[in-house]
Amino acid sequence: MSGGENVVVPSDEELAKMSTEDLARLGARLDGVELVEYGERYVPGSPADKAAERSVSKWFLLTAISAVAFIGFFIWWPHEYETVESGRQWIFALYNPLIGLFMGLTLYCFGVGVIAAAKRLTPHEVAVQQRHIGMSAEVDRRTLGAELADTGAKAGIKRRGLLKSSMGVAGLGLGVVAIVPVLGGFIKNPWAKGDESDLWVTAWRPTGDKKVRLVSIDGTPLRPQDLSAGSMETVFPGVPGGAKASDSAVMLIRLRPNDQVTPRRGQAGFEFGDYYAYSKICTHVGCPVSLYEQQTGRILCPCHQSQFNVYDGAFPVFGPATRPLPQLPIALDDEGYFIAVSDFIEPVGPGFWESGQGRTT
Amino acid sequence: MNSPANRQRRRFARRSKAMRRVSGGLALLFALITAGFLYSALAPQAGTAVAAEDDPVAIAAGQQLYNNSCITCHGANLQGVQGRGPSLIGVGQAATYFQVSTGRMPAADNGAQMPRKEPFFNEEETNQLSAFVQTFGGGPQVPSGSLRNDAEIARGAELYRLNCASCHNFTGKGGALSQGKYAPALDEATDSQIYAAMLSGPENMPKFGDGQLTPDDKKAIISYVQNAKATVDPGGYGLGGFGPVSEGLFAFLVGMGLIVGVTLWMGARA
Repeated sequence: MSGGENVVVPSDEELAKMSTEDLARLGARLDGVELVEYGERYVPGSPADKAAERSVSKWFLLTAISAVAFIGFFIWWPHEYETVESGRQWIFALYNPLIGLFMGLTLYCFGVGVIAAAKRLTPHEVAVQQRHIGMSAEVDRRTLGAELADTGAKAGIKRRGLLKSSMGVAGLGLGVVAIVPVLGGFIKNPWAKGDESDLWVTAWRPTGDKKVRLVSIDGTPLRPQDLSAGSMETVFPGVPGGAKASDSAVMLIRLRPNDQVTPRRGQAGFEFGDYYAYSKICTHVGCPVSLYEQQTGRILCPCHQSQFNVYDGAFPVFGPATRPLPQLPIALDDEGYFIAVSDFIEPVGPGFWESGQGRTT
Repeated sequence: MNSPANRQRRRFARRSKAMRRVSGGLALLFALITAGFLYSALAPQAGTAVAAEDDPVAIAAGQQLYNNSCITCHGANLQGVQGRGPSLIGVGQAATYFQVSTGRMPAADNGAQMPRKEPFFNEEETNQLSAFVQTFGGGPQVPSGSLRNDAEIARGAELYRLNCASCHNFTGKGGALSQGKYAPALDEATDSQIYAAMLSGPENMPKFGDGQLTPDDKKAIISYVQNAKATVDPGGYGLGGFGPVSEGLFAFLVGMGLIVGVTLWMGARA
């Protein structure tokens, strides 16, 4: 029902003699489209024709100008950072908006130009196409369905069990091939190193007799007189790469002298005077918990609002975290600098299946 | 031998002896005075800042202000009043300057946190109060002179991100704490107020003493904060300074909205 059934197809000789317009009309007619009106939008060379051309070309010229402007701004506008004091920061700040503006203008003008060309330059035509309503005719649907079913029946798919199961296995294999490269990177054996697993050990663990110092971000070891009462400093293990060890960041907190502290059971003496060292990794999902409130003694995690009470063994008092922040046992070395007496006695960060069971030895 | 000439000579000798005594005395006096002037001219000046703090007139004026506005909650001897206000002994000039110059003190009421408001005391009165509180047990003081360290602004930014950004946000816009408390935005904070806050740790902010952040570190942090506040927003508006979340939402809603709107308009015109 696509129309054009009653169109007489010209012979090859006739086709060779036909003009481009006649061929175009024939093609439309073969597709069931009757061109009622068809021709140039304006008389060629008339003022209206020239005006239409100009109005379309205007957009393409604007496209070219904005493209050149974009390149010019990209190359010559000052893109080096300027300080506030220089007074020229606004010039630097305009770099991105300017190149964005002109790239956008380039694309916009080109798009408008294409639309304008379609509206004002393409031939004027009124076309009529016969369309059927609803689904295809009964005969079309039945014959097409039968073609497909008959191919399957003749190939004998229904009775060939081996073929069906081998195709199923092939599909499964293809799926696995697609998933493995993505999933493979995530699968690791956390217990490959046994009791030395990264889940148990942090960079605070002493190597032999050498205990690890508590150092600030620039590597300076800390002494008790460095912090005022009611202060907190993020410290790192004083070993190579210690500041980058993602499980070893520790909050060294100096409480005020009259603060009453209840240590966790079995962890009395982990502190040094008013100094308490807690893991900075939240026991919920591992965000850095560094919002220390020095008067209420609470440590707030910014991700999910878990709160830990420093006065009560850093137990959680609010939010989704369920375990207290692990406490690092600290002392002073011979030179008076803070050291970690041992590693954490429990795993830091979010819980895992075996986290409550401790090491096997 | 008692000739007039001889007498004359004797008298002259006697006179010259007296003159020598007098001239010696004068020379000694002159030397002493010169030494005194030289000493006062060359000896180092005993810090004018300290002299101002010890200025009894300022301290007396500060005591008068204290008795009028602070004594109800902080007590007659700055020992604090149970349930009203903490002891101010040893908090020093830095804490007093921060609380009074930001208008937090005197407080209007006792809430979760004292909000910043229009200061009640002017600069001179604030200094008088600070001088008075400083006499009770001393305490940290904001140094005079420039509090900027523009040469190390990048390190200041690093220190800010490590020590301050978790509560005050990385562009100084502040953020929430527990139970209605909050870390305030740093928009209005001056150099000396930021310095005083780091030294004194107001309310729930931890202290950052000079052993933890040296004066140079503190000045670098102040340089970063003030620079971040003065930085020009490329789009003309900072969208709260929260970075990709608010900016992405804006770009998505406004950008997508524009595209959908233009598409609908083009469809309606076709």
